[in-house]
Amino acid sequence: MTLSLTVPDMLVARAKAGDLEALEALYRAFETPVYNLARRMCRSPEDAEDVLQETFLEVVRSIKTYRGEGHLWGWVRRIAASKALMRLRHEKLRATDELHDETAGGPPASVGARVDLERAFAQLTQTSRAVVWLHDVEGFTHEEIAERMGRTVSFSKSQLARAHARLRRLLVVEPEDS
Amino acid sequence: MMHCTMDDLLALRDGEGSVWARRHSDDCAACRAELEALYQRVAQLKALPTLRPPRDRWSVVRQAIVAQRMQRRRRWTGYGLATAAALVGVMVIGPAFGNTGIAEELAQAKQRSAQLESTLQDYDPASRVMSGREAELTARLEDQIAQVDGRLAEMDTRAAREPQLVDLWRQRVELMQRLVQVRVARAKYVGL
Repeated sequence: MTLSLTVPDMLVARAKAGDLEALEALYRAFETPVYNLARRMCRSPEDAEDVLQETFLEVVRSIKTYRGEGHLWGWVRRIAASKALMRLRHEKLRATDELHDETAGGPPASVGARVDLERAFAQLTQTSRAVVWLHDVEGFTHEEIAERMGRTVSFSKSQLARAHARLRRLLVVEPEDS
Repeated sequence: MMHCTMDDLLALRDGEGSVWARRHSDDCAACRAELEALYQRVAQLKALPTLRPPRDRWSVVRQAIVAQRMQRRRRWTGYGLATAAALVGVMVIGPAFGNTGIAEELAQAKQRSAQLESTLQDYDPASRVMSGREAELTARLEDQIAQVDGRLAEMDTRAAREPQLVDLWRQRVELMQRLVQVRVARAKYVGL
């Protein structure tokens, strides 16, 4: 599905002036991509909804600092990614991520079942999902991810490699048991 | 034979592969297939269906915005005392500067605004019940006041010319009067 994320300059100007109708129009324009990003990174739909809300409150607080350099969606996306990563940090799950590595995201696929990509992706740890989504789908660099996660670039790279190795294993079509 | 690791493949994809990895992937069909599978996987990730929020959260976001603006507006109330002092200052010192009329108007508008804020606070709007129409009208007036406050906050830092400030403060007073009419006058009328 393709979403139109182009926002007229006049709308941005009105939003900067505090016009609630303009702010609602911005919310309507970006609610789905922000939620989608958050949902791919967070554990539950409720967490993703909270990230959506926190992102827009930050957008409202900071819209005056947006100077029109680059696409507005890029600016909003950076806020959303930061909010989602902040939520992951607050959950303090990183310490136990390693333990969950083989079991996260619900029961493992039954033998012989084809595990599709979406389900395989859901089985990654939250940290791995966040790195894969931000780097491979949203286009963040390892440097940007590392900065937002408060980790090193090599951490981001190794998370990505481990995640892809795991996805590769999960996506292998195993022969049906007879 | 040694094959490319996932790190090697990701580096190749990102154009950062080592010389060895580039040469090896050229010669090794298995590693070329792995690299192709990596490209495919990422393409499929990008093509996953867009997930939409299950509920409309705008009303919650809007409430939070309005609450923040109210909070900011209450801070302006605190400026009331300072304004009264400024009015006295203008009356005493103002004539020395030749711009007395505008300065007085500005001080009066600020003072009137502070009085209206005080009236509204005495009424304790947070604990009152309103009809839907009143709530809508109140919200609209509060939004407009918040916009004026925002412009005033900006202008203060830019050392704006006084006529512009007077104009904004007049607008604020007018909006505040309407807000007080909506919220307080009716309560007095029905004895609440």
